Amino acid sequence: MAPAESRGFALARERLTSFDRQFAADVRVQRPDRYRLLDALPADQPRIARGGGVSYVAASFGNDATTLDMRAFDRLLAFDDRAGVLCVEAGASIGDVQRFLLPHGWYVPVAPGHPRASIGGCVASDVHGKNPARDGTFRALVEELQLHVPGRGLLGVDARNDAALFDATIGGFGMTGTITHATLRLVRPPRAIALRRVPVDDLAQAARVLRESANAHVLYGWHDGRPDRFGRGVIRVGLSDDEAASRDVALSKNTDLPAAIAPLPVPLWNRNGIAVANSWLSRRWCKPGFEPIALAQALFPLNDARLYFAGYGKAGLVELQWLVPHPRFEAFAVALGDCVARERPRIALISSKLFDGVARGFALDGKGIALALHLPSPTQSSQRAFCERVAELAIEHGGRPNPIKDSTLDEAVMRRAFADFDATRDALAAHNRDGRFGSELTRRIGL
Amino acid sequence: MTATASTTAVIVGASSGLGRALATDLARRGHALLLVASDARDLQAIAADLELRFDTDVATLALDLAREPDPGARILASLVSMPPLSALLLAAGVSRDDDDFSLPAARIGELLSINLHAPHAIVHALLPTLRETRGTIVLFGSIAAIRGRGRNVVYASAKRALESLYESLRQAHAAGALHVQLYRLGFLATNLTYGMKLPMAASEPDAVARHIAARLGKGSFARYVPRRFALIAAIVRALPWFAFRRMRG
Repeated sequence: MAPAESRGFALARERLTSFDRQFAADVRVQRPDRYRLLDALPADQPRIARGGGVSYVAASFGNDATTLDMRAFDRLLAFDDRAGVLCVEAGASIGDVQRFLLPHGWYVPVAPGHPRASIGGCVASDVHGKNPARDGTFRALVEELQLHVPGRGLLGVDARNDAALFDATIGGFGMTGTITHATLRLVRPPRAIALRRVPVDDLAQAARVLRESANAHVLYGWHDGRPDRFGRGVIRVGLSDDEAASRDVALSKNTDLPAAIAPLPVPLWNRNGIAVANSWLSRRWCKPGFEPIALAQALFPLNDARLYFAGYGKAGLVELQWLVPHPRFEAFAVALGDCVARERPRIALISSKLFDGVARGFALDGKGIALALHLPSPTQSSQRAFCERVAELAIEHGGRPNPIKDSTLDEAVMRRAFADFDATRDALAAHNRDGRFGSELTRRIGL
Repeated sequence: MTATASTTAVIVGASSGLGRALATDLARRGHALLLVASDARDLQAIAADLELRFDTDVATLALDLAREPDPGARILASLVSMPPLSALLLAAGVSRDDDDFSLPAARIGELLSINLHAPHAIVHALLPTLRETRGTIVLFGSIAAIRGRGRNVVYASAKRALESLYESLRQAHAAGALHVQLYRLGFLATNLTYGMKLPMAASEPDAVARHIAARLGKGSFARYVPRRFALIAAIVRALPWFAFRRMRG
C-alpha cells in the first residue's frame, strides 16, 4: 500500500510480546476502527486478529503476519434482556461485557481469568471458565458469529448456516477469518458466592473432591508444587449464596489486570520465593471453612495477581496445562509426583479443574481433570527438560494439552497428543486454503 | 430509540477518533445524538452501543461528505423527530500524505468538500435552529493551519478558512445568542497519527472529548488543545521567514 493511500489506515510496526514472555516479535500492526478498514489490506496479505493481547502464547501475532488490532470493535450491538442474548463486537473485553451485563441480571458464565481477554479471543480459543464441568467451554454460549474473510466480506455463520465454518471458528485460533462479532447466550448469575475451602493432601484426593462438587459455580484447586509437599492444597468450591442481601455488581474497570505487566528486575520465584509464597498460601487458604467472595473476584482472580506475574521477571513463565481422562488421572498424578521428586523443578503453582465435555478440535475439553503448572525460567535446561517430561507423562496417560496456554508445545507433541491431528488440521485448513490466517502459535504447532 | 433526552447534539464524523469519543461522552451526559459519518455499518454499531450503555436516543445518517451536494439539508431533515438541537460538532476531517502540490484536481476537491464545504453547508443549514436554541457550534482547526507549508497544502488552507468562519459567526451574533467554539487541535492518538513519529506525545481522544463536552454552551472562544500548542503556535508564527523556510515536515 502506498504511503498516501495508507494514511488513516493505521499501519505501524510494533514489538509485541506474549503474556508468558516466551515470544516477542517486531510485526506490522493494522488498527482498523471502521468496517471498511477491514478491507484495507491486500487480500493476500497474511494476517491474524488480536483482541486484548493477553493470551499466554503468541496467538495474535507472528513474524510473517500483519496483526489486526480489533480493540476498536468493542461495541454492544444488541441485547435481549428477556431472553438473555447479547450480540457484541469481537474486540470487546470480557470484563467490559460482564460490567454491562451484571446490573441487568445476566452474565457470561464462561470467562477466562484475565478481564481484558476479548470476546473474539474467547471464541477463537474456546476458553474455559471457573468450572468447565458445569458451564462447558465458550462454545456452549455461542449462537452466531460474523467473520470477515478477504474477498468474501462479512459472513454470518451459525449452527445451521455454514455449520462447518461456525464449528471450525470456535477454537480455531483465528485461522478461519477475522471474527467481527458474536451472539452469546447468557446465564443468570448467582446472587453471591460462598466459597467453601476443602484442604487436600494430594492430587488424587483433589480429584475426588472435584468430582463430588461438579455442579458448583466455581470449582478449582490450588496445589503446592514442591517435591516434599507435592499436591497438597485446597479445592475452592464456590456455591451460590442465595441468602446474600444483594447481588454483587462491583466490577470496576480500574481493577482490571493490565494487558502487559512490567516484570520485576529481580525475579521472585526462585526456590526460596516459591517456598515463602506457598507457605503463606497454605496457612491462608488450606483451612476448611466458608468465606463469601465478590462475584467479580470469582470471575477474574487474576486481577489480584499483578505481583505474581511481575515476579517471574524478564524470563517469564510457561503454563503447562493437560487434561487427563478420569480413569488415568490418579496414575498420572502419582507419576508426576515421582517425576517432581526426582527432577526437583521449580513450580510456582499447580491448579486443578474438572472437565465434563466433549473433546473437539484442538481446544481443551473432554472428561477428566486438568492440571496447570506454572514454571519460572522455562528456557533453563532443567526446567525445559521437566516440561518435556510432563508432556511425555501426560501423553502416556491419554492427556490433551491446551495450545492457547502452553508455549512449549510443538508439532511433534501435538501429533502425539491428538490422534486426529491431521484430520483436525485439515478441517481448519479447508477454511484457510491460501494460508492467509496464522500466528506464531499456529506455526509452532504445525497448523 | 430508548429514552427521552432534552436536547440533541449533532456530531459530524462520528465513526472514529475524536468524533466517536465525543459521541460516547455526550451520550454519557444524556444528550440525544444524531451521528453522521460515511459508513452506515459503523454508525449502526456505535448507535446500538450508546443506546444500550447510556439509554439515550441515537439517530444516524450515512453521508459521503466528499460527494454530498447539500449535507446540511440532509442533516436538517434527520432532526425532525429529535429533541431540540443544542450543539453541532464538526469533527469530520481528512488529510493526505500526498497533499504537497501533487494532488490532482479531483482529490483537491474531495479535501475541500470534506474539510471546508461540508462545515460551511452544515452550519448554514442549521444556523437558524441553533439561533433559536442559543446552541453551540464547535469547529475544529488544526496546528497545520498555523502557517502555510509545503505539506498539508489543501488541508491547511481549509482549516485556515474555518478560522474565518469562526470569526464570521462570532461577528454576526451577539454574545449569548450563539456559542461558537473553535478548537485548534494538536496531535491526537487516532488512526491518522497511528504509526507516525510525532515530535511530542499525542492526546487521547477521550480526554479531549471530555474537555470539549464539558464546555458546550459555555461561551465562545478559540483555543488550542492541548494548551501547550498555543506556545508552539506562537513560536512558529514568530519565526523569521528565513528560519521558517528551513523547517522540515
